[in-house]
Amino acid sequence: MNIQIGLPDILLISPMIALFVASLIPITIKVLRGNVEQAPFATLIQGLGGILAATVLLMMVAGSGSTAFADALVLDGLTKWMGFVALAGATGAVLLMYDNPSTNGDQFSELMFLTLSSVIGMLILVSAVDLLVVFIGLETMSLALYLMIAMSHEQKLSKEAALKYFILGSFASAIFLYGVAFLFGTVGSTYIPDIIASTGDLISSSRLFVFGITLVIIGFCFKVSIAPFHAWTPDVYQGAPTPHTAYMSTAIKAVSFAAFLRFISTKSLVGSENLLDFLQWLAVLTMIVGNVAAILQNNFKRMLAFSSVAHSGYLMVGVITTGISDNMSFAASGVIFYLAAYTMMTLGAFAIIALIEKDENSSVKVEDLAGYAKKRPLMAFCLSLFLLSLAGVPPLVGFFGKFYLFAAAIGEGLLWLAVWGVLNSVISVYYYLRPIVVMYMKEGEEDEAPRGFGATKTTILVSAILVVFLGLISGPIFEAVEKALS
Amino acid sequence: MLLSSLVFLPILFALIMVVWPNKTTLRPLALGLSLIQFALSLTIFWKFDPSSSALQLVEKYPWIERFGVNYYLGIDGISLWLVILTTFLLPIIIVGSWQAIEDRVKGFHAALFVLQTAMLGTFLAIDAIFFYIFWELSLVPMYFMIGIWGGSRRIYATIKFFIYTMVGSVLMLVAIIYMMFLTQEAFGTMSASLIDFYRLDIPFIAGQFFSLQTLLFFAFALAFAIKVPVWPFHTWLPDAHVEAPTPGSVILAGVMLKMGTYGLMRWTIPLFPEAAEYWAWLFLLVAVVGIVYGAVVAMVQPDIKKLVAYSSVSHMGYIVLGLFAFNETGMTGGLYQMLNHGISTGALFLLVGMIYERTHSREISKYGGLAGVLPFFTIAFFIVTLSSIAVPLTNGFVGEFLILLGTFQANPGFAYVAVSGVVLGAVYMLWMFKRVFFGPKGELVKDESHPLHDLSPREFAVLIPMGVMIFWMGLFPNHFFHWSNASIKHLVESRSNYILTVKDTNTKTQSAALVEGE
Repeated sequence: MNIQIGLPDILLISPMIALFVASLIPITIKVLRGNVEQAPFATLIQGLGGILAATVLLMMVAGSGSTAFADALVLDGLTKWMGFVALAGATGAVLLMYDNPSTNGDQFSELMFLTLSSVIGMLILVSAVDLLVVFIGLETMSLALYLMIAMSHEQKLSKEAALKYFILGSFASAIFLYGVAFLFGTVGSTYIPDIIASTGDLISSSRLFVFGITLVIIGFCFKVSIAPFHAWTPDVYQGAPTPHTAYMSTAIKAVSFAAFLRFISTKSLVGSENLLDFLQWLAVLTMIVGNVAAILQNNFKRMLAFSSVAHSGYLMVGVITTGISDNMSFAASGVIFYLAAYTMMTLGAFAIIALIEKDENSSVKVEDLAGYAKKRPLMAFCLSLFLLSLAGVPPLVGFFGKFYLFAAAIGEGLLWLAVWGVLNSVISVYYYLRPIVVMYMKEGEEDEAPRGFGATKTTILVSAILVVFLGLISGPIFEAVEKALS
Repeated sequence: MLLSSLVFLPILFALIMVVWPNKTTLRPLALGLSLIQFALSLTIFWKFDPSSSALQLVEKYPWIERFGVNYYLGIDGISLWLVILTTFLLPIIIVGSWQAIEDRVKGFHAALFVLQTAMLGTFLAIDAIFFYIFWELSLVPMYFMIGIWGGSRRIYATIKFFIYTMVGSVLMLVAIIYMMFLTQEAFGTMSASLIDFYRLDIPFIAGQFFSLQTLLFFAFALAFAIKVPVWPFHTWLPDAHVEAPTPGSVILAGVMLKMGTYGLMRWTIPLFPEAAEYWAWLFLLVAVVGIVYGAVVAMVQPDIKKLVAYSSVSHMGYIVLGLFAFNETGMTGGLYQMLNHGISTGALFLLVGMIYERTHSREISKYGGLAGVLPFFTIAFFIVTLSSIAVPLTNGFVGEFLILLGTFQANPGFAYVAVSGVVLGAVYMLWMFKRVFFGPKGELVKDESHPLHDLSPREFAVLIPMGVMIFWMGLFPNHFFHWSNASIKHLVESRSNYILTVKDTNTKTQSAALVEGE
């Protein structure tokens, strides 16, 4: 096999290279200073600089649809927009890490290295068109993340979370790889366009092919926490340091869905009724499990973890729509817009949790928010915005996300899925309103103002502004995404 | 620009409320702003042409072009009075809550103004998605209003209110999106505009529930029926009313319930004429049951506010009855009753709030003999009671009479039962009046340590406009019909094939200029 790597290939992966270089700076400095941390602020600036450089480079190279490394990576509209969502999520998460007691201080430069490495994995994932490259992206991203969670200064839950995540994540990877092996056996290639070309014939004639497709889909379902493969989500989200939880529920989720979208565009759902039914039921099940379980939670983070499961269910509706639609870019843009919206509001909500947490070992219960509106009116107002937006109340961005997602589903005749979706968003209102009730309508005791947290507050305010205004100007954004995808 | 400023100025006012530094000048400022808003709404009469059934003062800008969603505002004879009602009630509510709301005054007034935007937007939006946004947005400030400034069971009441109303409206959202795809099939481009929805011809199969028009009809009707609330869906209303602070109750009864009946009139009936016709019996039935049930339950309430809340269920039943009579008399009566109910029930809640501020109790059994202690209050309460039980010369009479007349013409059977509501209404109101104001003095009234004071000048200022409206609307209904007749006539006559034209205001002024020139 003759592998040729030219300058164009290198240029096309320049965002990843920029991230890689930036990720090395803090740890190199640490080594040169004889294992002494530099000022955390310097590390933060270096990390953010890397992300910014990657964003600018991504804007320049992606969107054209050009391919790199013998067609293994493609830089099209999906890469561009999902890359932006992932980088935005990572920016927010890094800002939170800088402030949070369980992640800052000691080993912050190592953490920055790992975070940026996992962002590299994400960029590989959103641009991969070969299932094996998808796997490499997934693993690069996940392995860094396991370590990040385990590195938390919190002693018990985070270690347990990291181990759980590692074991279940490896399990999912194994299932994914197993599926890829079947696909390779039947198609003779792991390249997604090759699979697309043979889907029409094989989906009805070859059971092994269907088996492979199903296993790969289940592997993705693990990653994006679709019930009944969601069991790791609440534990890991709760145990991980809050910045990492924010990171997982925004950036990691977005890029996993991006790869899922690429795979679902093989049209395997069109040929196989059973598979389509199976996925639809999974979507409904996920919404119900996520929302009903979230109602029962007292721990704020765990509640948001289940809400994240429920949102995976809504997104699954969009993924299924993309899978059966002739106008794929329409449905896929709905998913992308929803993920962008979800990133804003979830990031904001977790940032507020990070603000309330007293130290690395504290957990925030919903009751702890009592009187928060009197103590910090602005932050309470922002949290209300995030929660109402998650519930899909107009005119916030969450409503527009749901509108685009369900509009595409209704257009494809998946009316019943849309009805399940909106009814579930009513269920979700119950638990999204609960923190608001506690904040505004119950009295709490006074405590001292938290120190610093400038970066976290900036994240919150920026997210809040986006949550209010992104929806109102969503029309042109949606059109731009759709145009980039087609 | 008039309608846009009407809808969005309150948002600006709400922001001013939030940042205004001085607490003592906050209320006068809010009052002034709401009066400006009221004056602004009155300028509509200047430009509005009552002889036309077309949509007027239209403002249309593309918003989400991919889905044919527009920024689209317009007014006609149906929405005109509801807009005026909203802007009229707001200053009254602000004066009425002058002393009732002491905690978080800024937030309260901000919520009030946001709510005004949502309500006006609901009445003026002509684009389905635009309408839906205002419709849902109205829940949020009301949710905070009940939850923060409400009574002891406020949290239960406010969550129930929010979830109940949302269940209905999300199905409406699905129906709206579905209809947007229908416009794409029919006209080639997707559109969410109500005008295009009216032009759709949706297949109807009589007797089959799972047919397109019937399902869409019920998706819309359920949302509105919960908001009205029509009888089996009414349970959120007494809870919300009782727990809400006085201004919240006034705005809830005065305007928010009208969003439901307005929705039936503007959306459900003309959009799905065959289904509305076919299922009219169901709505007439629940309306009649609501009238009688609301009245009977109101009769046995020990709490004045709860009594008024159940009387709302009864009165809203009349409105639905009038709308589903499908004739000009019934529809006019229905629209008129919307305004009446806003005035008279709003005034009742204000009066109940005034006495509650004095005694901190709403239990009927603790009162008695108030007439001797508070003569002016008694007179005011009596006038409003007369209006509420539809005594001739008051506004309530005109509305209920027209509704019953229209129902007799269309479905006499339902009218026979509905008439009993008039008697029952007199029974529960007058019986309550007797127990509170006459007879031996109750424990709260004779309490020497807390002497009761009669109406203050501020309270007179609140009640006099309401009293004026009660008699004005009762004595000169034509002043009001004049502006809405053309629209209602058009709705009734062309119901099975309803089309709303857009009046170009520019051509009107041009032709007027031509006439003057000649």
